[in-house]
Amino acid sequence: MLENEEMEEPIIKPVKEIFLTFFKSYSAVTGLIILIGIAVMGFIGPLFYPTDPFDMVWMPFSPPGTDGFLLGTDYLGRDILSQIINGARVSIAIGFSAALVSCFIGVGIGSFAGFYGGWVEETLMRLTEFFQVLPTLLFAMVIVALFGSSVLSITLAIGAVSWASVARITRSEFLRIKELDFVLASRSSGSNNMALIFKVILPNAAAPIIVQSALLVGAAITFEAGLAFLGLSDPNVISWGQVIGSNRIYILDATYTVTIPGIAIFITVLAISLVGDGLNDALNPKLRSR
Amino acid sequence: MKKHFLKTLLLTATLIFTSLGVSFAEPKKGGTLIAAVGNNPRHLNPAVQSGIVTGFPGAQLFATPIRYDNNWEPQPYLAESWEISDGGKTVKLNLVKDAVFHDGVPIKSSDVKFSLETIKKHHPFKTMFAPVVSVETPDEHTAVLKLSSPHPALMLAMSSQLMAIIPEHVYGDGQDPKTHPQNSENVVGSGPFKLVEFKSGEHIILERFDDFFIDGRPYLDKMVLKIIRDPATRTIGLENGEIDFYAFENVPTNINRLKKNANLNVTPDGYAAIGPIDWLAFNTKSGKTADVNVRRAIAYAIDRNFILKAIMLGVADEARTGIHPGSPYYEPDVEAYDIDIDKANKILDDAGYKKGSDGMRFGLNVDFGWPGLRPNAEYTKAALKKIGIDVTVRQSADFPTWAQTVSNHNFDLTWDTVFNWGDPVIGVHRTYQTSNIKKGVIWSNTQQYSNPKVDAIMEKAGVENNMDKRKALYSELQKMLANDLPVYWTNTLPYHTIYSNKVGNPPMGIWATSSPMDMTYIKE
Repeated sequence: MLENEEMEEPIIKPVKEIFLTFFKSYSAVTGLIILIGIAVMGFIGPLFYPTDPFDMVWMPFSPPGTDGFLLGTDYLGRDILSQIINGARVSIAIGFSAALVSCFIGVGIGSFAGFYGGWVEETLMRLTEFFQVLPTLLFAMVIVALFGSSVLSITLAIGAVSWASVARITRSEFLRIKELDFVLASRSSGSNNMALIFKVILPNAAAPIIVQSALLVGAAITFEAGLAFLGLSDPNVISWGQVIGSNRIYILDATYTVTIPGIAIFITVLAISLVGDGLNDALNPKLRSR
Repeated sequence: MKKHFLKTLLLTATLIFTSLGVSFAEPKKGGTLIAAVGNNPRHLNPAVQSGIVTGFPGAQLFATPIRYDNNWEPQPYLAESWEISDGGKTVKLNLVKDAVFHDGVPIKSSDVKFSLETIKKHHPFKTMFAPVVSVETPDEHTAVLKLSSPHPALMLAMSSQLMAIIPEHVYGDGQDPKTHPQNSENVVGSGPFKLVEFKSGEHIILERFDDFFIDGRPYLDKMVLKIIRDPATRTIGLENGEIDFYAFENVPTNINRLKKNANLNVTPDGYAAIGPIDWLAFNTKSGKTADVNVRRAIAYAIDRNFILKAIMLGVADEARTGIHPGSPYYEPDVEAYDIDIDKANKILDDAGYKKGSDGMRFGLNVDFGWPGLRPNAEYTKAALKKIGIDVTVRQSADFPTWAQTVSNHNFDLTWDTVFNWGDPVIGVHRTYQTSNIKKGVIWSNTQQYSNPKVDAIMEKAGVENNMDKRKALYSELQKMLANDLPVYWTNTLPYHTIYSNKVGNPPMGIWATSSPMDMTYIKE
């Protein structure tokens, strides 16, 4: 479909220009650097700091700085620095996979609703609204409580409750794009519905979906911490939320055990938001000449 | 110097007199006690409902034949005296003559008979009155219990919330006592307080019963029991004086926080007969824990002192056996399995559990019965890693899920809190008896532990009337259990009573609030 590519050009910005806009923004670059730093810490850090986060290595509740333990120890005497390093991997993994899950569901539902219209749209959008009005944390709690708190169930639960916004954005983009000339052209040149949805319209609707998904990663990390705070975390995997959850009852006696992972979450979510903002500016065709 | 000494002397004297003045003050009549309860009782009739939540209002509304003092000595209550004869097989209760129910109808021996039969039929604690074959009522104020065998547990079973005397003319109307409408409203009791209102989930209001059979009691005019489930709300209520009294607090951080408050008194006394013990139970029939060597190695690897100091923050006591340390039958001189990682590793090596290339020998699951035990489960994971056991912590969705898992024997290790309920026959035997391996029943012998010798000792101790001989039997039992280790006992659940300075005579006996609070009063 070489002919079509020419017509798509007005909507998708050239890759080079996207990169330029993104890297011109200081905040976006800062966010990206922080994010890469955290990811490197999570994935390579354990090689340089091999203390097992589950090992009881020192006196419980040793405040940060005690005897070489930079961030202190928790209520069982486990090294909090090691928990932060190892927890980064899991927290980020949960964040990205949950966002991927909600993106998958949201794009699927939103694109079909937007493309087909009629009763398909009615049904799918009522379903979306149903999920949108449910109190998300409560619903996620129910799912985790039903299926037990493992990393998988937590990830799926977060994904399952946060896809509604993606679905709505996808639908609105589809509604707009499917009326454009190049779609009509593609249809008249014999493309079937599936090709139209996934090869023609979706690439052109990608920008806002990518931005929304990026923001969902941050939301998912906070979500996991929220569930953990309520005691619904996987006790066998160290994530930042799990660190908060297991130390929560000692919050008045050893505040640092909860604030340190809290700060880690805060920085990560902030970085993700900055990157998301940068992506938004870079991908938005209307902001091209800024 | 001399002047200073005199000053000190004077100050000391003043202090002594003031403190004497407080401790010998006459209890004052009148006043309202605002108490908190941590859960919503299903109803208020302890004759057909177990548990400390029903026990608190239940023991105020209903009197029992006897009560216990702080030293485990039975005292007259609704029975002014009793005679035990026929080698313990006949127990005669002489009831107080002028006792009446809250509706004015006299309390007769036939009510005692009716109550005991109802409890025997409907109360979950079947061992309490199992040997009682019949109750004879030669006259209105005499009830004679005939037993098939001696039953020393009977005395404790006739106290506290366990043998509430309920009126036959109300609860004997043919309706199912477990769902009788008057279990929750218009309760006709026999105890020091009568029910004004029970609003489920909100409060229970009790009022002084003026015709109570002990003259001048109760001292309080009114008791308001506020049902507050959230620990933080209760703690704040106690701190700002909205609540005068709360029993059964067990969150270590809360206890330590409330201890710092000068207006509040915090005490662990009063729970010896309730007897709550935290323990790690093993599946002794299937999996790796069926091997006693594995169980012993695990016990050596888990540091009881660490649990006491780090998890319980110093507010709980050590419990080395399945009998509460406050009980006269407690035997501390048993194999305690004090922390010894080398020994634990050696036991496992010798038993043939070789470490793999990753330093692990095998994996086990650990469950826990309620959220308060999650730290213990996480600790178990960390502690057993040191001896090469890879522990997976299983978090159950809720209590019924856990109860189902454990009672159907689908577990390796589980943390749990279990109550003694006074006599070992009521709350201890059930955990170790071969006959009590009941699939699907929680707090039965879910360990599936079976040792004919242990069964025989329990059977003997259950009918032994001589206190010293009985103690000796239970001592032997505890030693044998510590050796076989179906359960590794660690500590008492740190139940604490918190009361404000204006509360006099809070219940400090062996049954905490599951005993009548007719002597409690409000100062000034």
